[in-house]
Amino acid sequence: MAASSQPSSDAVGVDLRAVRKWYGPVQAVRDVSLAIRPGEIVSLLGPSGCGKTTTLRMIAGLEHPDAGEIRIGGALVNAVAPWKRNIGMVFQNYALFPHMSVAENVAFGLAMRREGRAAIDAKVAAAMAQVRLAPLADRRPSQLSGGQRQRVALARAIVTRPSVLLLDEPLAALDRKLREQMQVEIKQLQREVGITTVFVTHDQEEALTLSDRIVVMEEGRVVQTGTPSEVYERPRSRFVSDFIGFTNAVRGRVEAVEAGTATVAMGSGQTIRVPAEADIAPAQAVDLVVRPEKVEVDPPEAARPGRTLIAGTLRHSVYTGAVTYHHVDIGGGETLIAMTPNGDGHAGPPALGSPVTLGVRPENMLVFARAG
Amino acid sequence: MADLAPPVRPVPASERWLAAYVGLIVLFLALPVLIVVPLAFSSDVSLTFPPRGVSLRWFSNIWARPEFLSAFGLSAAVAVVATAISMVAGVLAAIAFVRHAFPGRDALLMLFMTPLVFPAIVLAAALALVMTPLGLLRSFWGLALAHVVLTLPYILRTAVATLTEIDRSYAEAAHTLGADRWQAFRHVTLPMLRPGLLAGATFALIISFDEFTVSMFLVGPGVMTLPLEMYNYSEFTLDPTLAAISTVLLVLTSIAILVIEKLVGLGKQFGG
Ligand SMILES: Nc1ncnc2c1ncn2[C@@H]1O[C@H](COP(=O)(O)OP(=O)(O)OP(=O)(O)O)[C@@H](O)[C@H]1O
Ligand SMILES: [Mg+2]
Repeated sequence: MAASSQPSSDAVGVDLRAVRKWYGPVQAVRDVSLAIRPGEIVSLLGPSGCGKTTTLRMIAGLEHPDAGEIRIGGALVNAVAPWKRNIGMVFQNYALFPHMSVAENVAFGLAMRREGRAAIDAKVAAAMAQVRLAPLADRRPSQLSGGQRQRVALARAIVTRPSVLLLDEPLAALDRKLREQMQVEIKQLQREVGITTVFVTHDQEEALTLSDRIVVMEEGRVVQTGTPSEVYERPRSRFVSDFIGFTNAVRGRVEAVEAGTATVAMGSGQTIRVPAEADIAPAQAVDLVVRPEKVEVDPPEAARPGRTLIAGTLRHSVYTGAVTYHHVDIGGGETLIAMTPNGDGHAGPPALGSPVTLGVRPENMLVFARAG
Repeated sequence: MADLAPPVRPVPASERWLAAYVGLIVLFLALPVLIVVPLAFSSDVSLTFPPRGVSLRWFSNIWARPEFLSAFGLSAAVAVVATAISMVAGVLAAIAFVRHAFPGRDALLMLFMTPLVFPAIVLAAALALVMTPLGLLRSFWGLALAHVVLTLPYILRTAVATLTEIDRSYAEAAHTLGADRWQAFRHVTLPMLRPGLLAGATFALIISFDEFTVSMFLVGPGVMTLPLEMYNYSEFTLDPTLAAISTVLLVLTSIAILVIEKLVGLGKQFGG
């Protein structure tokens, strides 16, 4: 498990237990349970409409769950108004107050807490320096670039030292380069202040980059929770493996299962042996899932004994700079894509149309029962 | 600086025709209003144009007649009270209409707007009938409440339009920063509503001050609005006194509009 951020002494956890939310006939959130540890940065990841924003808004108190419990720092907050929850939130559109200057925006939360003028000025100056906005204090939000607005929103949300920081796709409006820069900044800032943070995104790369743990959601449910490497390396379903990163999926049928190892026949008639979970039974239709970077092309003889080997024909190779993708026809109408790095010492790809052998460590080949 | 001057471009004939056309329309709209100004300074006893001499006697005639001053005072008081009540009611109603869904919302909003399209005379008769048993006929408060009915739609309409434009995430952001409902309204929503509300309030003040039909049914001795006082005066005397009053109103209205424009303009720059 990846190292968690250093929690500050007053960081609190957030717990959701069997939380549900309906919008009329639409069930936006179904039985979501989450335990977010103090100081942790967790992202809610999933496709559009899966209930990420709704879940975040329930933590903020802007929506009320129809069932279940929400606790912040152990205290039940279901009936607590948002302004009493001591949270900070960054909205997707930033929601900076247009009639206030940057400094007034950042000062707003402190003013609502009735802090003194001097304390407010000092804290605002510190927060603005933290997000490198000090020279822009007197500007209006309308006079800022997208990245600067994002920083103001962040400064405004953290200056009150909230127990929980909530961010709803705060980087979606930024271009790729700025987004990557802000990801690093948010992560650094979050570590510095040690606030428990919940981050909504539908960008899997962003989730992998930023999170201590990722909560993958689908249709209002949590389908997997784990560290970035856990959800990437050990997805628990086809949905998760497809949603996070690029993946190969090959159809197969289970011929036998013994001692946690399944023998699976692929379309071409080749059989391979893979570790299998308990829900895999003989005669079952399955998907074999493997990441392209876990597939070796023509592994050296010495490395082959421990590998699952699949024979195929190289159809074409796509060079993308750092890596090359090899599309290999493995028979039965199925293609496996292997990714090889283009570092020094790598032989050029085999000639197109030549037979190749693909090698995969058995533990890197995942088997999922196929529905229907 | 010469380099900042816009490039000189020959004006095409079609644009000159357009300018002349627009100028004519402006003249047509403004002429009847502007003609009262020279008349007000006329030395003639009758309303002849162009005036044969210049005098301020009609302005002093206004001062000489206390009924005009008290009517002005009453009209101004009614306009301010009616607008103030409409503002509070209109903003609260707009929040309900825009931010909350409830059964019959659209029908109710339409009902609030009906005074805009209803024949004023129907409203006048109805209000007179309602106010008689309530003892509000020929009273300041009867008049002020009747004017609330007339001015509310203007405030409500601008408030609903402005509030619809204000994303609800602003108030929500205020809530997450520790502002309760009142603080979020007071410090975030209201300042963002201000330009729209000022426009609505200006409209409401003018509508009320100018109102004739409904007021006619509700005024009486001692409770007389300026338009009705002017009408009464004209029944007996047609001299430039009315032009003088109109000129004063014209100047006051222009000042009010300039001040509001300045306030709203400044508000945009400094958030005031
Ligand atoms: N105010 C609302 N009224 C009715 N339905 C809503 C409302 N808000 C959300 N929904 C519905 O609830 C479901 C979950 O919405 P939510 O906004 O939580 O999704 P999301 O995961 O944030 O999606 P996105 O990535 O598109 O922002 C969707 O089906 C959506 O249509
Ligand atoms: Mg969303």
